[in-house]
Amino acid sequence: MEVSTPEGTRVLVADDDADIRELVEFKLSQAGYAVQAVPDGLAAWEAFEANPPQLAVLDVMMPGLSGFDVLRKIRESDHPRVPVLMLSAKSRDSDVDTGFAIGADDYVIKPFSPRELLHRVNTMLSRARA
Amino acid sequence: MTGAPVTLLAATLVFAACLALAVVLVLTKVGRETRRRRRAALVAPLRPHLIAVSAGEDEGPARSTLVAAEGPSRRAVTGAIADLLGKVRGLPAEHLVEVLDRHGALESAMADLRHSSPVRRAQAAQLLGVSRVPDAVDSLVVALQDKAGEVRSSAAYALGLIGDPRAAAPLLAAVGAPGAGLPAGLAADALLGMGVGISGALGDALSDPDPRTRTVAAHVCGIGSFTRALPCLRERLALDPDLTVRETCAQALGSIGRADDVEVLARHTEASQPLPLRRVCAEALGQLGEDAAVSTLAALLRGPDPRLAEIAATSLVRLGPCGRAALDAASDERPVQSALTVASLQGVLR
Repeated sequence: MEVSTPEGTRVLVADDDADIRELVEFKLSQAGYAVQAVPDGLAAWEAFEANPPQLAVLDVMMPGLSGFDVLRKIRESDHPRVPVLMLSAKSRDSDVDTGFAIGADDYVIKPFSPRELLHRVNTMLSRARA
Repeated sequence: MTGAPVTLLAATLVFAACLALAVVLVLTKVGRETRRRRRAALVAPLRPHLIAVSAGEDEGPARSTLVAAEGPSRRAVTGAIADLLGKVRGLPAEHLVEVLDRHGALESAMADLRHSSPVRRAQAAQLLGVSRVPDAVDSLVVALQDKAGEVRSSAAYALGLIGDPRAAAPLLAAVGAPGAGLPAGLAADALLGMGVGISGALGDALSDPDPRTRTVAAHVCGIGSFTRALPCLRERLALDPDLTVRETCAQALGSIGRADDVEVLARHTEASQPLPLRRVCAEALGQLGEDAAVSTLAALLRGPDPRLAEIAATSLVRLGPCGRAALDAASDERPVQSALTVASLQGVLR
């Protein structure tokens, strides 16, 4: 499978942890993605509604709307096929099962490898475009 | 002194105590926030470098800049790196640890494990753990005996992150240490972080004199699929004097048992056994997933304990078509109806 060219591809990143938010934004920006980073679930949903991205990276435990809540809303929206990667410290099998059951395309557990995250984002976008 | 002044004095004292507590809480919160802001201000000029190293996008200069930090900035960067090490793994984490090492923070942490302050000892254990320092294992094992509970917990957490199976036996022993134990969940998580090399230690711990140690060992055997412990789990289920240990062994057999274990678990659902154990064994039979359990579970559907009957019904649902046939034959029983309703709501049945 050919890996897509990220230039200009919009990625929404939502995480209430400033460290994670900044480093994911930095990693994806360095790879050429146009990243919009927000600190909570409500801001994530508002950003999604205002300008749907090509992919979303969502934390699960966020103030206001959780990442799972945002994922549900995305799947019920006018853009239900946007790939969503959950990035969470919730590592129990039941948490991962819930994420996929709601419609996540991938689930990465913290602590995570930023390099691996980038590969997963690239692959998800390639599949979405195929 | 008459009743009214005494009441007034008591109310005044309670009010004063509440006020003092509120002041302490506010001061603590303000102090913490002030320290957080001060640290953020000290780290701010170095933050782009910190993020670059954490993201694995460092070509060298960023790490060198972090290593060159001096004085209060160095201490602030050390704290920020300790936070980040709980969030990233792989090469970026190794680079962050390298910065800590060059700062002398890991050497200080080793020394701080013997500091007079339990807060400093606990922080040192945490830092050595998130930095995955293999040379710290022996010192952390000693810290499992610390008189402060938070230090013992931090040492166990750190040993789980480092993952050296040599620490399994002392960690299991620390669970049941008289007056200085470890939380069972924390110990189990740490043990699971040590991989398959702890099999021997788990087997030995199943015969430990302390029931808390035996319980944790049995739980980890089940969760971590340590099948070499199966003979010992069967023996403990049958003979252990502690009911919690027996229940945990039954749960473990439900997770990792063989077809032969249907008979073992079925024996412990008999009316002569303690009711809590019968319930756990009925659930474990469902988890085991063997059709041979149907007759035992079906017999429990009409028993006097409705909860046991409901668990048996749920286990029959889990067994698939054979179990469903047994449920159909007892569909007039209320526990069966409850179990079927719950299964439908959970999407197990359609």
